[in-house]
Amino acid sequence: MLGKLIKHETRATSRIFLPLYGALLILTIFTKLVMAIGAPDFFSEAASNNRVAEIILGISFTLYFILIVGICVMTMVMIIQRFYKNLFTDEGYLMFSLPVKTWELVLSKLLVGMIWSAVCTVMIVLTFFIFSLGTFSMMELSQAIRSAYSMFYLQTGMELNLFMAELALFILVNTVASILMIYVAIAIGQLFSQHRIVAAFGAYIVITIALQIIGSVFMAVLAIGNLENLVLNGRDAMTTIHWLINGSTVLNVLFGIAFYYGTQSIMKKCLNLE
Amino acid sequence: MMMTILSTKNLTKSYGKKTALSNINMEIQRGRIIGLLGPNGSGKSTFIKLAAGLLVPTEGEITIDGDVPGVDTKAKVSYLSERTYLNDWMRVSEIIAFFEDFYTDFNRIKAENMLKDLNINPDDRLKTMSKGTKEKVQLILVMSRQAQLYLLDEPIGGVDPAARDYILNTIITNYKEDASVIISTHLIADIEQILDDIIFINQGELVLSSSVDEIRETHNKSVDGLFREVFKC
Repeated sequence: MLGKLIKHETRATSRIFLPLYGALLILTIFTKLVMAIGAPDFFSEAASNNRVAEIILGISFTLYFILIVGICVMTMVMIIQRFYKNLFTDEGYLMFSLPVKTWELVLSKLLVGMIWSAVCTVMIVLTFFIFSLGTFSMMELSQAIRSAYSMFYLQTGMELNLFMAELALFILVNTVASILMIYVAIAIGQLFSQHRIVAAFGAYIVITIALQIIGSVFMAVLAIGNLENLVLNGRDAMTTIHWLINGSTVLNVLFGIAFYYGTQSIMKKCLNLE
Repeated sequence: MMMTILSTKNLTKSYGKKTALSNINMEIQRGRIIGLLGPNGSGKSTFIKLAAGLLVPTEGEITIDGDVPGVDTKAKVSYLSERTYLNDWMRVSEIIAFFEDFYTDFNRIKAENMLKDLNINPDDRLKTMSKGTKEKVQLILVMSRQAQLYLLDEPIGGVDPAARDYILNTIITNYKEDASVIISTHLIADIEQILDDIIFINQGELVLSSSVDEIRETHNKSVDGLFREVFKC
């Protein structure tokens, strides 16, 4: 049943996102073409002799940034709206009478929200890649990467791959925990008989403050005895940063689990659709 | 198979301090059409939501075919809410696909035939429909399942009298013999002729539970007449 929920959730969200990403790709390719034909040196040199191309590029880059910001905001709005509207307004009457478990409802929303967040990142990287096509050679790129690896190892004594993997894990866990935090705030809002959206905002703010406090305590504990290392450059500082990233990941995993169970148990035991 | 499809034991539901249902004990048998009748705010919707698994009892217990509401009972129960719960952006054909995906007992052919009878185009988007048409679509979806228990919360409130007759006819002809239908409404006169049993509730309490024949014999009145007498303001 989880698969079916994910399928229908994807269907419900892709009708908004597919046109947006289609538009983004078309705009990117159009911009790149104008750039290639009219102003090949757009990035490297300020002066150009093709006024028309410059104007078109100015407009299309503005559109590009508006679209990127719009898509990012839309992803966020969608994550909130699909959870709130589909589960806690009139549509909830249908969703909660389906023969599915509560955790499946939560997880399907979460996974599809994650997928769209990932798509958003990948698409932005892809457009950058399209823009920069032809401005570098593969040889140069691989050389630059290789030298980055050895530089990193020299300076920190750590493999860049490991560091990147840890950073990626941190970002992933952080994203999941952030989405779950929105969910639990919405769920807490449902415990009130009136002004549920206001209550959800309130819950979100209270949780944020609580997390700030816990985070500061965590940082303080970690920083004690490591202060001179943080100031120093090089290997010792890197060790501290390393611990900081992994510590935050662990903390976020714990928060995420708490949010998930909080959300699920409110939905299971205290559900009361308006 | 158990003969009792729904049973409650000291079923109580309160929202904060307000008690919506208190101490309801009842058993509903298979193969009956039951009218759940009571004035506005008497607890009808709360009862139906508890049976549908959309609310959890404060005290006591409700079971469907022996089980507490959950995934298993939701697969057996076809619930029509008082709200229009369909996503506006969907076409009727898409919402049919949705139901078909989640309910194994959903009968697509039945749904398509009913849509045809009521002149509803499956390619229309729900957004473009009137409230009454949406209610019809919702009722068609709910009645196209081969469920064991149908919970219909105010099924005929918003539809015109002609469609009302068609719908009532659909209800009596569509359900299997071992299934039961619970209809909550205050439009008693309209549905009286199809009811087997009635349950009167008022202010969260069970007032009367009886078969329609019994009422006619002992009280020498129609259900509508008795209702007006019992709930006289």
